Amino acid sequence: MGGTGIRVEGVVKRFGRTVALRGVSLEVRGGEFFAILGPSGCGKTTLLRIIAGFEYPDEGRVYLGDRDVTELPPDKRGTVMVFQNWALWPHMTVYDNIAFGLRLRRVPEHEIRRRVQWVLDLLGLRGLEGRYPGQLSGGQQQRVALARALVVEPEVLLLDEPLSNLDAKLRLRLRGEIKALQRKLGITAIYVTHDQEEAMSLADRIALMRDGRIEQIGMPEQLYRSPATLFTALFLGRTSLLLGKVTDVGHGRVYVRVGEQVIEAVNHGLSVGDEAAIAVKAEGGRLQPAANGDWVQLTGTVTVAMYLGAFTELRLRLPGTSHDIIVDLPPQVKPPESGATVTVYLPVENLHAFPVEEDVVKEMLEQA
Amino acid sequence: MARPAAAPRQLLGRLALRRLPPMQRDPALIFFLYASLAAIIFGFVTPILSIVIEARGWEILGDRYYLDLSSSALRDFVEVRETVRTIVKDGVPVEQRVIRITVSGFDFGVIGNSIINAALVTLTAAAIGTSAAILVSLYRFPGRRLFAVLAYIPLLIAPFVNAYVIKKFIYPSFTENMLSALVNSIVGPVTGDSVKVYIGVRDQAGVFVAQVLMFYPIVYVNVLAALAALDATLVEQALNLGARGLRLLRSIVIPLILPGILAGSSLVFILSLEDVGGPIIFGGNAHKFMAYEVYNSIVTRATENIPKVAVLSIIMLAAALTPLVVVRRYLSLRYYARLAKGAPRPFRGMRLGRRGLLAAYLVVLPLLVAAAAPQFGVVVLSFSKRWVSTFPELLPAGELLTNYQAILSIEGIRRSIVNSIYYLAHAIVFIALLGFMAGYASARARLPGAGLLDYLSSAPLAVPGLVVAFSYLVFFSRYSFGGFFDPAVVPAGVVHLLVLAYVMRKLPFTVRAVFTSVIQTPSEMEEAARSLGAGRLRTIARIVIPLTWRGLLAGLLLSAIYVLSEVSVSVTLGALGGNVYSTQHVGPITFAILDLVTEATVRGATQPQAKAAALATLLMALEAAVIAVASRLARRGQALVTV
Repeated sequence: MGGTGIRVEGVVKRFGRTVALRGVSLEVRGGEFFAILGPSGCGKTTLLRIIAGFEYPDEGRVYLGDRDVTELPPDKRGTVMVFQNWALWPHMTVYDNIAFGLRLRRVPEHEIRRRVQWVLDLLGLRGLEGRYPGQLSGGQQQRVALARALVVEPEVLLLDEPLSNLDAKLRLRLRGEIKALQRKLGITAIYVTHDQEEAMSLADRIALMRDGRIEQIGMPEQLYRSPATLFTALFLGRTSLLLGKVTDVGHGRVYVRVGEQVIEAVNHGLSVGDEAAIAVKAEGGRLQPAANGDWVQLTGTVTVAMYLGAFTELRLRLPGTSHDIIVDLPPQVKPPESGATVTVYLPVENLHAFPVEEDVVKEMLEQA
Repeated sequence: MARPAAAPRQLLGRLALRRLPPMQRDPALIFFLYASLAAIIFGFVTPILSIVIEARGWEILGDRYYLDLSSSALRDFVEVRETVRTIVKDGVPVEQRVIRITVSGFDFGVIGNSIINAALVTLTAAAIGTSAAILVSLYRFPGRRLFAVLAYIPLLIAPFVNAYVIKKFIYPSFTENMLSALVNSIVGPVTGDSVKVYIGVRDQAGVFVAQVLMFYPIVYVNVLAALAALDATLVEQALNLGARGLRLLRSIVIPLILPGILAGSSLVFILSLEDVGGPIIFGGNAHKFMAYEVYNSIVTRATENIPKVAVLSIIMLAAALTPLVVVRRYLSLRYYARLAKGAPRPFRGMRLGRRGLLAAYLVVLPLLVAAAAPQFGVVVLSFSKRWVSTFPELLPAGELLTNYQAILSIEGIRRSIVNSIYYLAHAIVFIALLGFMAGYASARARLPGAGLLDYLSSAPLAVPGLVVAFSYLVFFSRYSFGGFFDPAVVPAGVVHLLVLAYVMRKLPFTVRAVFTSVIQTPSEMEEAARSLGAGRLRTIARIVIPLTWRGLLAGLLLSAIYVLSEVSVSVTLGALGGNVYSTQHVGPITFAILDLVTEATVRGATQPQAKAAALATLLMALEAAVIAVASRLARRGQALVTV
């Protein structure tokens, strides 16, 4: 099928005095699964609602394929939205909920029956068609919402945190189903979420948003391994922050003095003498350096060590710093005692140093 | 010549250039908004504004009859006279002191009376209504349900007859009225019948008592709704921290239910200002109220009074709007925000302490009984010949329904019932259409004028009915739209005016109900349909109406019942076709009730008040049924009688 591409150009949206979107542009390819990720209040839902036609941008245009749809109401766009609260109509049965879009399209009744059955089978809802939404479990309601959208074979499927009202286990299972369905049907999907794991596991590409702007667009691994901004580096993964002064740079690396130690990190535009913020990803820590690869050595006092099954989370306070950093150790290693001074090693790719962005740093420190 | 034409063209251009969001740019929504706005502006705002032009009689402000703030205002407040007489008790002559107390109240002149009386009635009603509501919903005590039911009874409106019965209870009389009988039932045994008291309340004081008894339940139901919406955890938290009794009420409960108190109180203020029943029934000096002055000028067709009456109307209007403007912003912001989140778990069940129990049974219960008594009195009177001193004299057992048969057999009365049904049948269609359009547009439109519609669609509640009646007469006499709305064309023109007035005055109940239902329905329900390809109209038909019909129906039922019990327009414009014996009689039920109560024209019919009571009892039965159904339809925690 291929699906239709979407282009958003320079979209600005204000609500009274607050600016929700400050000039957002992006392009989603036909058939792509695209995630918009960001903390709450970053404007991701507003962006989705502008694409759907529920909100109108103050500036900028929205294109579906080659069509400029900015001026079109939602029913004329060919996008179908799945809502966070699912918005199932309580006065209609599951069957009528799903058949609604087809009836609008004047599909003959026997064809409607066939297609509703098809989508019921597809989502494992067979036998529930006579029920009302109030008689369904959360997971079933979510599937009905998805079925109602998919049955009309939309050009573009828009999903606004459709799994956030479900418990963790169900969320994982439905996540897999949504991905499989989108692949199978080949439609374009835009998925808004604040859950980075959801975005990473589902999306071909992710747009990470912050404060009404797009921070970075790329494949999940790209964002994770090569963050372009301090915010991206800090937002993705289990990350801690270190602040210091650059003492030396070279070969894409930077050396930052943090308290009494000098820490090596991947350089993102820093020069000697700059104040630096280092985003430190926790995974892959060791108590001894491995034979190959570049390892960064961090020495500090253990605040607490917590065994979490897959790994042991170590909270470490470096001398001369004001808060702990997190480092994961393999589970088989005997965790050091609280209060002990230890030296841990992290691969240098785990550490990305950027010029200090005051507001990002402040936010991160408030969370720590 | 080019200039005048250029201005509107420029304006149109600017409107067209305004970039409307696509969701808002649909013909259905635009039609809903501007059609209902146009209807309200034509049928309501313009006539009301037109009285400003007529208001040339400002000299009345210097006339003591209209405004008298001197000390003489309180001169006749209360009068006590004492005489001694000899009565025969157990065959022995005894001396008895007879104390006659007559309370007339203040006289600040027509304008002063209306405003000061309304303020006092409002304060008193707020105090009684709030205490009763708090007592019933926050405390558990024996007899709680009785309190709860009693407080609802005065909500049933028995126009004129209610005030008539209250007058019978308290008016000065040489025989014992109910109030004196009650007092003497205590004084007699205590003094060994050596003292006899006759208490009479009349004039401004009579109107005050009647209005408090009639209107306090409006505060009661509003506060009850606010209390039902109160989150139990808030009260429990306060209890947990050790707040009890008055401190709990003062620091936690009252601030949280303040919107409910203010909403109910504002409405009471307006109803008191526009009440013409009390002044007409109490008569004499009780005529000195603005509502009565306006009423009297209309029914006596005193055209020379128009400049003065216009001034009175403007003063009434300004007085009625003031409290609303002050509290409105505060009210509307809070109410719906909280309702939208669904009803929280209401707080039930603090035990009432001994002192509280004493206050409940010695203060609140007597007040509730007093307020419910007139309604019982009306019902009893409808099965009686007439009212003799303390009680009505019941009809003989075989003839109990005489009054009911009579109201159907007297031609003029039967006509008034038919008239009412005819007006209602027409008005309700327009109320349904306009009410849904305006309610939906206020909830969903973000177009220019949406805020104005929200405001204007509930404004008629705040405009005294007599101001509406007067403004219709003035405006439509001048612009009758080809005679269609001409008050001089009887019956057609008057009938059209009456229907228009009913639609406009009672529209707010339906608009508010629809608005609340739509707001409470998540907008995603509509957006889901839009996103699947449904246009606005189809979304309304398939999603919005099925999800909100209960609210619409509840609102319509309320509008209907208030059309039937409407007084101000009914007894003024309704009188334009002549009295109930006139062949062109266009008056509705309430007009006939007034005629009967005041024995204006229904001669020959013995004891017309009893027949009025029969009509009023039928009306109350209908009201009770409608309120019961409407409360079931409307969701919990929503006051039905609210601003």
